[in-house]
Amino acid sequence: MAEWKPPVEAYKGRIVEVTIGRGPRAVKVGGENVFAFNQGFDEGQWPNPPRVAIELWDTEPKGWAKGILDFYGDAVKDPIAWAKKASEELKPDLIFLYLISTDPNEEDRSPEKAKDLVRAAYEAANGVPFIVYCPGNEAKDPEVLKAVAEALKGENLLLGPALKEDYEPIAQAAKEYEHCVSAQAPMDINLQKELDVKISRIIPRERIVLDPLAPCVGVGLEYGFSIFERQKHAAISFGDEMMQMPMIANFSLEVWKTKEAKENEKMGIMWEEMTAMTYALAGANILVIRHPLTYRKVKELLDKCKM
Amino acid sequence: MVIIGENIHILSKAVSDAINNRDKAFIQELAKKQAEAGVDYIDLNIGPARKNPDVMAWLVEVVQEVVDLPLSLDSTNPKAVEEGLKVAKRRALINSASGKSESKEQMMPLAVKYDAEIIISVLNDQGIPADAEARAESILDAVSYANELGIENERIWVDPIIMPVSVDQKAVREALEFMKMLQDLLPGVKSTVGLSNVSNGTPKELRGILNRTYMVMLELCGCYSAIADAFDEELMALARGQMPEIKDLIRRVMEGEDIDPNGLPPKERDYVKTAKVLWGDVLYSHTWLEL
Repeated sequence: MAEWKPPVEAYKGRIVEVTIGRGPRAVKVGGENVFAFNQGFDEGQWPNPPRVAIELWDTEPKGWAKGILDFYGDAVKDPIAWAKKASEELKPDLIFLYLISTDPNEEDRSPEKAKDLVRAAYEAANGVPFIVYCPGNEAKDPEVLKAVAEALKGENLLLGPALKEDYEPIAQAAKEYEHCVSAQAPMDINLQKELDVKISRIIPRERIVLDPLAPCVGVGLEYGFSIFERQKHAAISFGDEMMQMPMIANFSLEVWKTKEAKENEKMGIMWEEMTAMTYALAGANILVIRHPLTYRKVKELLDKCKM
Repeated sequence: MVIIGENIHILSKAVSDAINNRDKAFIQELAKKQAEAGVDYIDLNIGPARKNPDVMAWLVEVVQEVVDLPLSLDSTNPKAVEEGLKVAKRRALINSASGKSESKEQMMPLAVKYDAEIIISVLNDQGIPADAEARAESILDAVSYANELGIENERIWVDPIIMPVSVDQKAVREALEFMKMLQDLLPGVKSTVGLSNVSNGTPKELRGILNRTYMVMLELCGCYSAIADAFDEELMALARGQMPEIKDLIRRVMEGEDIDPNGLPPKERDYVKTAKVLWGDVLYSHTWLEL
């Protein structure tokens, strides 16, 4: 009698593998041809579990949870010391550096100053790969990101967000100075694809990460989940080449804005953890987290899911 | 494919001005041009016309003076539709009723009173049904209500409600699936669609190819007519059965054949790419023709 073999469901597409950073600490994201956490079956590979980035700012943050400020101590007053401390204490996969001070509505810090700061923080962080995000100002961001790209030529940062209004100069800078670019569309799979098509004419897919926006628990998580899932389906089930880039879920800013997280730190940690694991399940390849305790909890959980 | 010319439409600024100013010549010119383009019906869209429902009567009379085509009286306001029905010389088409209670009570009886044809959409009190099955359920209810009033299937034009592909790509396919099952559900009914809605939200220069491809797909699924742009010459040609090679390519996409569009001449290539998007094989983006 012939041996029975379970049927294997094969998918059409594979997510491209994107490398962020350089040297021994560089991380690979994406590369899977199955859905998240499906690595235990025969139908494909899930080579890189979600990578976790710790969120830092380019200025001393105000009103952050006590546990976060206590964890870093005086280091939060200086982004360079902060980057060093975070890299030593947490050994994170990635550092997400938010250049909020470049916002014209905030400090309006110059591209020149921003790039010096990013370079110093990067050098202090012991080779941890960097994601550098601007506030989303279409006039200012390209100047800042270009200066950063040039200052850290070849270091393979992930630069973002590239929006439909300003993707061209940002993607050009990423290409010229050898970095990756994060394509941000406002929670719309069709607009995401359009942006992907346009950016991939400038820079290869292996240097693009998708940022569909990731609302947290309580402010539209279920909608965010659905967008992530649909985009991964389009990429893997339907083989849509323009959706086959890894995705970043950048929710920590939203989490710590909620009433619950502000009033109760423990609840905030759970809020952030739940949001993180939900996006991991939906197919996110990079998770951005603010609280060091959440970072550790999520890393621990993801480690347990390795097979 | 029976074409109802959509070009007298209140959302057009020029038409709106002409109606407000009772500019007879402008409206008549637009009606004549559509007739020359070969439409079968002329749609007279005046919107809700809450303040001046009698404008429909004026419009019907003005258009009837110059063309001898049946008219589609397009308003959500039953009073306006009735004003038009009173003066229409040929059997008119009421555009439109639906499964909403209000519409059943106020719009459908007009088809009985004036012996008119009537468009009934799948819309109901809950909104637009999500998939083909829910559309079927909704239309069965609305049509059986109409039947009870004495409107036979042959006078009913079913509208599945077309969603823009840039908003809800899945619904675009669902409407086609619904169209395929319609004759089994309601033998003898006619059908029609607001065709241009499929390309709403798409950059203007790209709307035509979406409209034309979708019209052919609808026809292949058994659709009887479309409310469409009379001035799109290629659309009118396709509606008249010209360009059979294009229709054949679109049919092959719908049958699941994996045609490589990039091996085709430009026109054929664009129709195949568009059909793949509308059929749901390829995710929509405004850049679909460039891939």
